[in-house]
Amino acid sequence: MAEVALNGLSKRYAGSGELAVKGMTLTVADGEFMVLLGPSGCGKSSVLRMIAGLEPISAGTVSIDGKVINAMPAKDRDIAMVFQSYALYPHMDVFNNLAFGLRRRSVPRDEIERRVNAAAAQLGLTPFLKRKPHALSGGQRQRVALGRAIVREPKVFLFDEPLSNLDAALRVTTRNELIRQQQDIGITTIYVTHDQIEAMTMGHRICIMDKGEVVQIGPPLAVYRDPANTFVARFLGNPPMNLMRVALEADAGEARLRLGTLTLPAAAWPADRLGALGSGALLGIRPEDLYETSPRPGDDSLLPLPATVAAVEPLGAETLLVLTLDGVEEEVIARCGRETRLRPGGRATIMLDSAAAHLFDPATTRVIARIGA
Amino acid sequence: MGARRARPATLLVFLAPAFLLYASFTVYPVLRTFWNSIHTIGPHNVQLFVGLANFRALLFDDEVFWKAVGNTAIFTVVATVVDVVGGLLLALCLFSGAPFAKLLRVVWFTPVLMSYVVVGIIWVWIYDYDWGLANLILRSIGLGAFEQSWLGDPHTALWSVMATHIWKWLGFNMIVFLAALYALPAEVLGAAELDNCGWLAKLVYIIIPMLRPTIVNLLILSFVGKMMIFDLVWIMTGGGPLWSTETVSTYVYKRAFDWNTFDLGYPSAIAVLWFIIILAFVFAMTHVLRSRDRLEY
Amino acid sequence: MAAPGNLWLGHLRRSPLLLFLLLYTVLAGGPFLWVASLSLRTTPEIFAHPFALPGPLHWEKFAEAWTRSNYSTYFWNSTIVVVTAVVLLTVIGAMVAHCLARYQFRGNRLARFVILSGLILPPQLLILSLFQILLEFDLYNTLSGLILVYVAAHLAVTVYILEGFFAQIPQDLFDAARIDGYSDFEIFWRITLPIGTPAIFTAVTLNFIILWNEFLYAVVLLTEDDKRTLPLGIMHFMGSHQLDIGMLATGLMIAILPIILLYAFFSETMIRGMTAGAVR
Repeated sequence: MAEVALNGLSKRYAGSGELAVKGMTLTVADGEFMVLLGPSGCGKSSVLRMIAGLEPISAGTVSIDGKVINAMPAKDRDIAMVFQSYALYPHMDVFNNLAFGLRRRSVPRDEIERRVNAAAAQLGLTPFLKRKPHALSGGQRQRVALGRAIVREPKVFLFDEPLSNLDAALRVTTRNELIRQQQDIGITTIYVTHDQIEAMTMGHRICIMDKGEVVQIGPPLAVYRDPANTFVARFLGNPPMNLMRVALEADAGEARLRLGTLTLPAAAWPADRLGALGSGALLGIRPEDLYETSPRPGDDSLLPLPATVAAVEPLGAETLLVLTLDGVEEEVIARCGRETRLRPGGRATIMLDSAAAHLFDPATTRVIARIGA
Repeated sequence: MGARRARPATLLVFLAPAFLLYASFTVYPVLRTFWNSIHTIGPHNVQLFVGLANFRALLFDDEVFWKAVGNTAIFTVVATVVDVVGGLLLALCLFSGAPFAKLLRVVWFTPVLMSYVVVGIIWVWIYDYDWGLANLILRSIGLGAFEQSWLGDPHTALWSVMATHIWKWLGFNMIVFLAALYALPAEVLGAAELDNCGWLAKLVYIIIPMLRPTIVNLLILSFVGKMMIFDLVWIMTGGGPLWSTETVSTYVYKRAFDWNTFDLGYPSAIAVLWFIIILAFVFAMTHVLRSRDRLEY
Repeated sequence: MAAPGNLWLGHLRRSPLLLFLLLYTVLAGGPFLWVASLSLRTTPEIFAHPFALPGPLHWEKFAEAWTRSNYSTYFWNSTIVVVTAVVLLTVIGAMVAHCLARYQFRGNRLARFVILSGLILPPQLLILSLFQILLEFDLYNTLSGLILVYVAAHLAVTVYILEGFFAQIPQDLFDAARIDGYSDFEIFWRITLPIGTPAIFTAVTLNFIILWNEFLYAVVLLTEDDKRTLPLGIMHFMGSHQLDIGMLATGLMIAILPIILLYAFFSETMIRGMTAGAVR
């Protein structure tokens, strides 16, 4: 059992007034693959380094299997880490890079040989065992870094943006390898990245961080479908979710939302929430939920929006449309099929799937509700 | 392409002053020294060709020369090792997050900046038998039995001068090592921490191997500098007492300017021979100590 | 990112370290403080109590040393020699460095080899012949002779430092200047020198310190008292006034003060300058 629990974890760097990590509380279950996702500077790497013991903790606790390890030196925590820059020992060959940690822990020699050769075989490194890091390619070095963590057979794996130095093709294959590894070995893993594709494909749960705080935790698809606030809504998904201002109107006791020339009934959510809103809200709709032609003809949850096409971006497999909706200030992006005939400057009626729309409070940026929910 | 070529006249203007000076005051003197070494040069530039006689006399008949070589050898080896190891230790002290590290770095470097004259005279006073700091401290902590005439006793003179020389240069090696330590990739040290390395293991298995190029460079630099040492010895002891601090360079000076017969040929031979020996050692050291692989990071 | 030291020593006990730091600081700086205090005391006072702090502060000794003991002559000789030599070294060295770094020509590698081989020439190989040469050209015992010798002797180091830096200036700048019609000399003056200023600063610092303290060449090539540079002057004084510790100490302080003053303001530059070439 290796459950990692963070409780109120905080980090302040010397000489800085701000907290880099603000009271983070999170539990990673045994065998779970948890991804910490967020933009640069959100504190995710600091959290990882505090868990590893490479960074002193300012406040709060880190526990493994219920035992608080704040004061435990890094080398006693039974944690293996893969660094962004791989951090291989430049003066040792691949074999010794893999074996070094085991030797330092007095693992018997034949056991070391067994583990190292097994890991090397698993990662395709056997022909390179005698080479030094400077004679390896980036992908090979990355695998050595991974191998070094695997042979340790630790309680927890930590990954600090391990794929960010690889080219795109290599990133895809390595990503799949990592997923397979984790499924085979089943060790609790905490994985830091700023790449949402890695987060969406690799994690059992993702934890989105911004400015040192946890914003949302959950399985990737759940977070994607139900973002907790506008930050998450726009961070996940490419192109990001469209956000448009809608005005709140009362008309004979019935609340309505006005989006440009369109009026949306506001019956789907409780009136008290609306009351707290003041006069406006933000409507969020993902590009894939805006359609050139209605996907469910006759379903009146699909609302027509007159629009002018500002730009057309053919991507090959699909086309992105940049649209100006009548009466709406913000430009929106819609996904449509590659066979579209729309041209810049042309007029179109875009169908908005209100069942998939989100409503956000502009003051707190938090989500109010899904219209369709 | 045209920007990389220049008219010959331009090249001449850029290079001429330097090369003229260099040719006259460096190249020519070197050649002339080689010439001198196979002659006897008397007063009024009387020259007598003697072939390899100077070298023969030097190698086989000159006790003082061999004493000087011995002194210089001891000095070079011991002082180089202490200087480089000591510099590394000092750098590690500051690297480990000592308080006031920035200030200490500046203070510890000060002896490097001072002239040998200043350093020499101060330490002559420190080594003074009656009122010098060294004996005073020994007396005050009850080790009065160990007090010496540091520079007056042939057994201790060389080591005393050596101590002063080391004192002057430790700061230099410290600065170079400190820069190298800060250039180490921090994540590698983090990886070593996770691989169950305490501070000693990190030092032995990671830091020192990764510092190898710096260590080798400083060893060679130090070695060459100490093989040629003159100033400090001349100022502190003049080569005495009884040739116990005589070095090859001071001997060259003495044979040229302080001898009862005036002959520039013989000391030139010493200088030539010593130069060849230094070159040989530098090649040997470079060959043996440099690691075969590049150490990239 | 943790301070590097934390990654190495982490939680090690600090007190033995602190003790060592204190001891070494006393060792490194103590002798100078002692000389400073000696320089303000008279010799009888010193012999009475070698380690007391200065009672009355005898600032007048500095004036005395300056006027009566010829220190002013030594100081000015040093200043003239060092400043002139450093200026010449910088100008001439920069020209060579620029040429070697910038232009491809047939003798480039040979020229570089010849100049940089000066780095390993021991002074002893040169002084005896220089002695003869200066005598023959009537430059013996002259400041000009010494200046020329200093420049030649330190060209190698200067060119080494400057060339390394100049070579890194992007070629694009020079191509653009060439297209704009600049002449070779203007390119040197307007591009290499301004951009290469940090390296020039480094070389100037290094040369200044080394030449200010230089002893061997000076002691061989200067014998008349009114030509002596500061290090020689002090040695001479030491020879004839060995027991006048007080005056000697004052003289030492005069020699040290310019360096200390510069160091107080420019410690980083001086440290970097002196170790340039050794730090890869």
